[in-house]
Amino acid sequence: MNKPAENIALPAEEAPLITGGQTFHSITEKIAGVVERKMPKLWLLAFGAAFSFLLVLLGSIGYLVWEGIGIWGLNNPVGWGWAIINFVWWVGIGHAGTLISAILFLLRQRWRTSINRFAEAMTLFAVLCALIFPGIHVGRIWVAYFLAPVPSQMMVWPNFRSPLLWDVFAVGTYFTASLLFWYTGLIPDLATLRDRAISKIKKILYGIFAMGWRGGNRQWRHYEIAYLILAGISTPLVLSVHSVVSTDFAVSIIPGWHTTIFPPYFVAGAIYSGFAMVMTLSVIARKVFNLENIITINHLEKMNKIMLLTGMMVGYSYATEYFIAWYSGNIYEQFTFINRAFGNYAWAYWIMISCNVLVPQLFWFKKLRRTVPVMFVASILINVGMWFERFVIVVTSLSRDYLPANWGYYAPTLWDILIFAGSFGLFFTLFLLFVRFLPMVSMTEIKGVLPEADPHHGAGGVHE
Amino acid sequence: MGKKENKYWRSLGQLNNSPEYRKQLLKEHRTENSDDPNKFSRRNFLSIMGASIALAGLAGCRRPVEKIVPYVRQPEEIIPGVPEYYATTMPLGNSAYGVVVESHEGRPTKIEGNPKHPSSHGATNLFMQAAILNLYDPDRSDSVRFKGDKKKIDDFQKFWKEQLEKFDKNKGEGLVVFSESFSSPTMERLKAEFHKKFPRATWVAYEPINDGNLLAAIKNLTGKSLRPNYYYDKADIIVSLDADFLQTESESLSAAQGFVAGRKISSSDDKMNRLYVVESGYSITGAMADHRMKLKSSEIGGLLWALIEQLKARGININVSKPEIKSDFNSQWLSALVDDLMEAQGKSLIIVGRNQPTIVHELALTVNNALNNLNKTVGFLEDKESILPQKLSMPKLSRADTMVILGGDPVYNTPVSYDFQKILASTKNTIHLSEYYDETSQLCGWHIPRAHFLESWGDARAVDGTLSVIQPLIAPLFNGVSDVEFMSLTNSGESKTGYELVRESWSKIIKGDFEKGWRLTLHDGILRGSASEFTKSNLNIKKYSKPRETLYNVDAATNIEIVFQPSLLYDGRFANNGWLQELPEPITKLVWDNAALISVKTAGKYNLENGDIIKLVISEIEMEIPAWVIPGIADNSIHLPLGYGRKKVGRIADNVGFNTYKLFGGPDKMFFSGAVTLTKTARKYKMANTQDHNRMEGRAIFREASLDEYKKNPEFAREMVEHPPLKSIYHDYDYSEGYQWGMVIDLNACIGCGVCTIACQSENNVPIVGKVQVGKGREMHWMRNDRYFRGDENNPEIVIMPVPCQQCENAPCEEVCPVAATSHDKEGLNTMTYNRCIGTRYCSNNCPYKVRRFNFFNYTKELPEVMKMLQNPYVTVRSRGVMEKCTFCLQRIVRSKRTAKHEGRKVHDGELLTACQQACPTDAIKFGNIIEPESTVARKKSTDRNYELLAELNIRPRNSYLARVRNINEKLKRDTYRNDGH
Repeated sequence: MNKPAENIALPAEEAPLITGGQTFHSITEKIAGVVERKMPKLWLLAFGAAFSFLLVLLGSIGYLVWEGIGIWGLNNPVGWGWAIINFVWWVGIGHAGTLISAILFLLRQRWRTSINRFAEAMTLFAVLCALIFPGIHVGRIWVAYFLAPVPSQMMVWPNFRSPLLWDVFAVGTYFTASLLFWYTGLIPDLATLRDRAISKIKKILYGIFAMGWRGGNRQWRHYEIAYLILAGISTPLVLSVHSVVSTDFAVSIIPGWHTTIFPPYFVAGAIYSGFAMVMTLSVIARKVFNLENIITINHLEKMNKIMLLTGMMVGYSYATEYFIAWYSGNIYEQFTFINRAFGNYAWAYWIMISCNVLVPQLFWFKKLRRTVPVMFVASILINVGMWFERFVIVVTSLSRDYLPANWGYYAPTLWDILIFAGSFGLFFTLFLLFVRFLPMVSMTEIKGVLPEADPHHGAGGVHE
Repeated sequence: MGKKENKYWRSLGQLNNSPEYRKQLLKEHRTENSDDPNKFSRRNFLSIMGASIALAGLAGCRRPVEKIVPYVRQPEEIIPGVPEYYATTMPLGNSAYGVVVESHEGRPTKIEGNPKHPSSHGATNLFMQAAILNLYDPDRSDSVRFKGDKKKIDDFQKFWKEQLEKFDKNKGEGLVVFSESFSSPTMERLKAEFHKKFPRATWVAYEPINDGNLLAAIKNLTGKSLRPNYYYDKADIIVSLDADFLQTESESLSAAQGFVAGRKISSSDDKMNRLYVVESGYSITGAMADHRMKLKSSEIGGLLWALIEQLKARGININVSKPEIKSDFNSQWLSALVDDLMEAQGKSLIIVGRNQPTIVHELALTVNNALNNLNKTVGFLEDKESILPQKLSMPKLSRADTMVILGGDPVYNTPVSYDFQKILASTKNTIHLSEYYDETSQLCGWHIPRAHFLESWGDARAVDGTLSVIQPLIAPLFNGVSDVEFMSLTNSGESKTGYELVRESWSKIIKGDFEKGWRLTLHDGILRGSASEFTKSNLNIKKYSKPRETLYNVDAATNIEIVFQPSLLYDGRFANNGWLQELPEPITKLVWDNAALISVKTAGKYNLENGDIIKLVISEIEMEIPAWVIPGIADNSIHLPLGYGRKKVGRIADNVGFNTYKLFGGPDKMFFSGAVTLTKTARKYKMANTQDHNRMEGRAIFREASLDEYKKNPEFAREMVEHPPLKSIYHDYDYSEGYQWGMVIDLNACIGCGVCTIACQSENNVPIVGKVQVGKGREMHWMRNDRYFRGDENNPEIVIMPVPCQQCENAPCEEVCPVAATSHDKEGLNTMTYNRCIGTRYCSNNCPYKVRRFNFFNYTKELPEVMKMLQNPYVTVRSRGVMEKCTFCLQRIVRSKRTAKHEGRKVHDGELLTACQQACPTDAIKFGNIIEPESTVARKKSTDRNYELLAELNIRPRNSYLARVRNINEKLKRDTYRNDGH
């Protein structure tokens, strides 16, 4: 167990998931300690910054509702801009959490335990950020409730043929399932925090949310089954939510949108960007809160491998779109793709290609794959690239469609930028509150992957 | 003072909160009422009504007090909610356009052409459509002023009576009337009275844009004062030399109708006329040309000489000899043209634009005479009762002691060399009758608000001699005084109503029972049988021997020339009209601005890009204006649209564009060359246009063929796009019963003038959004005109195609709306439910034609109270955040269906017109029930040229187009109209 983590494990035996000779107790101390100790100065600083951005978001939305969508750069032909791009981008980021917790759980990928908790939290917050945008981008936000399928005196249902309505259901379901899944996983840890709490208020609050968890055998059995069922429910949602988001485009008749490849392409892209965001956050978190032994370099390397894989799926999709445009013989389709690479938004296209296709190629090299600064920068670049992917899809297709007389150019205004920047404020505010008040790594599950937890553990729990 | 006045209309709430204004209004109210109740004049009525509007915001019944007679379909009394239609006449310079005005409970809302009037034939031009907006313009002056202070008309009357005492004694010595031009029996009568009373007084008429050069040429050759009348429909070959006869020349409305009448074809066996255009700018006439040659305006005279030489060589007897001028014109082009002219003797027409000097007009008349076209395609009519524009005589004006300026805005629009400002300063008494407190009014002593033609009595004579009465639809909204009332006041010092004045004149005009004739004339909008006799015998063109004057400015092609052209604001009088300001200029697509239009090569020579500010200097006068490149303009020719850059008119007009009158040489000198220097400045100016991309990119959007190609393959239009069979996986809705509305737009007839856009705007309460919003791509027009260039960028062709909502049966917009706010009705219309729309803009994204318009802001929030009277009550005013679009004028459909149902019948074909269709000068738009095989629209749709735009998407548009056919001279064969888009 005292082998350095950098040593390479033989294929048959996995490298230890948790390093530094952790015991059940040391893990509890390490993780619960983060919540119980005073927050470092850095946290306060970060929270202050994030909260200011949140205020910017709220202020900008207020002005938007007061004045109208016209404060954005939208026009005719480009009816959707940054709001929709941000929506798709944030939803995409929101994919990693559930994928890590649900799919990897079902696939018995035990390395997920170190990262699943905050990946899930990140998912929730990202989806929350995403949900803002379709809400505020409509022209008359005060009647947005028309989207809800409730019987009313108008006797009108929403139009179930519209992908926008599918979106409402898909993202709503995803958010609900993710929230339940995350909360269920939190219950044993909340009980730990309750039990360790010194102040009365904390005891009561954690107590309420721990829902009377005692750690009894029966409770554990119910808990495990519930968790498994939720994982089963969440798994198809990971695939469905971004498939449905992609139909916003694929169902239309606009060249560059009207493509059958969109659902798998969007899902791959979403996982890609989600992992990149988890990477960015975990690199920071393990550094700031000294969790290098829990979120080890092996974990990071595994995530890099997934990014390499999904990055190439995305690159393959890009290539396929070109092939199909050529193969279809459709002049509008052909023009759209030539225009993407060489038209007046070519800069956006080449940023997308560089960040999404070229950057992950670094991860072919083991050394780079295990170098923290490289992956940190790469993960950020990938998310920049993924934002531009949505920009390219939304804007280039709309700005030059069928009749050249309508072609236009879209440029964002200050308000587009402020609202996007503000959404980071919301995201980080929530995330910082999360690390402040909840265990960011699942203590329960980490303990489960320690050698001691294995009934066949030879040394009988001898600690070195 | 100006500021205070503007406040009046900015918002009602603001107004109501201002106690001093309220006090003032009440005071006015009281004094008017304290007058003798028997003297309840129309003016009193107006001011009381004005006060009540301002105080209560009520914009209801403002019917004029005299009896006027409704046009057709009139009930005996007004039925609320049912509009009435009245015929009246819109005068514009020496032209008169008969109109029928829709009036809702006493407020006029929409202008249509009067089918009985010879100058409109039921159609409208841009100015007619937009004139209704001027009526409700809150920036119009609402008060008499003396040196800026508000006065009453009585004050002016008192002042003027004193003046008259003097002029009665000295026979009008020092009295000058400076007027616009008119063709009006009453004005003519008042003018005669004026001259009789003040024999020493002077009357000067001025129009910055006029036909003086042409009329002078006719007078020189015939010795008589005659007006020309062109019979385009009778001409097989039409040669236009710098004449934009479809848009900016006089009588362009009837010209367009005549031209298209000779061009409409229903099958490949039909014949059509051929149009040759030689021009320096790029006009919509040039875009309609079968063959177009770009040539500087200063070289066009030379080209005509070259043409004459060739005709002479073919044995045509033209007794003129060519001066020593350049003649290396495209000889192949010329000889092909001459071949055509030789063949079509007596059936050709050479027409010269008003830009050209008198000599060119004389030559053209001579050629028309030699080609036996006189009395066939060109006729002359006696010029009756018109006050024609004259050359300004400076000494006469500067000797004036009292100057009465009747309309116009001479400080703004006279040539800078006249220095009108100085003349005004040196004149003791100056009086200006004007709709706005404008540049001239602010420098005059007295300003009298002028009534709009919809507020005044008057009369007018059309070009063919037809007489009509101008009858008011509403009492003056802004205390305006009509032209005839003002002129009568000038003559006698007593105020007479316009009604009395006009009836006085007409008592001599109408033969037989006066009251009956008068009522009939008011009803019809014209006096029956008043058109002048067109007689051949009284014409005598003198033999033309040698040029009376030298052709000026025939010079090297490398010299820069400047050409002035009327703009969408005409000469600037429509500058405060937001509809015209926001209408994309048909060729440049610019809105809210004018620019120096230059060719690609000229731009290259001076290293200019769109929006670069250039400095033009002519004999030490300089002006700065941004450049705008229009491929196809003659090289080294700079075109300056007039009418922009106003400073003191109103919120719409002021500081929009650039005042090109700074360089203006006068109406007889619309272009000059040689002494112009152009320098590029380092600055740029941002302009807004509605179309950035000018090429079709090889897509079969605007489909056309030459006549030969059409004859060989009549199905060419549909064959331009190959696509798989159009099948849907869904069951088709059954559209085989009842009314199924559809539209056809004949691209062979459409001249691209843009009247449909304004008509739609007027009918459907479409807001204007301003330059900044248009610059962002947020114009709201439901009906737009797409303009594409094709061919060589130095000599391209231009095509223009109107695009309304295509009303797809398989509408892509409908299936993506999450709240079902846009849906299909059983008559095949794609409808919008504004109340239901939440504004996702998904429908607009998914519309392949991009005809949907989104309300990014609340564009009607700031609408002045008075302008709310203009809104069509049948059409919802849309709020912020909803999508809107063309509905094929659903409100008109519903109205017609209701009427038909009442009468127990079906809607007749042709009974129901959409606004664009009704306004279209050339009847290019047809609308009706497509499943009724005998309907016009169904018959048109079954012709071979019919195609649907983007039909390959299987969206099944209800609107279709008839492909254009160009009558190409095979000797000048151009590339075939392949689907190459370039």
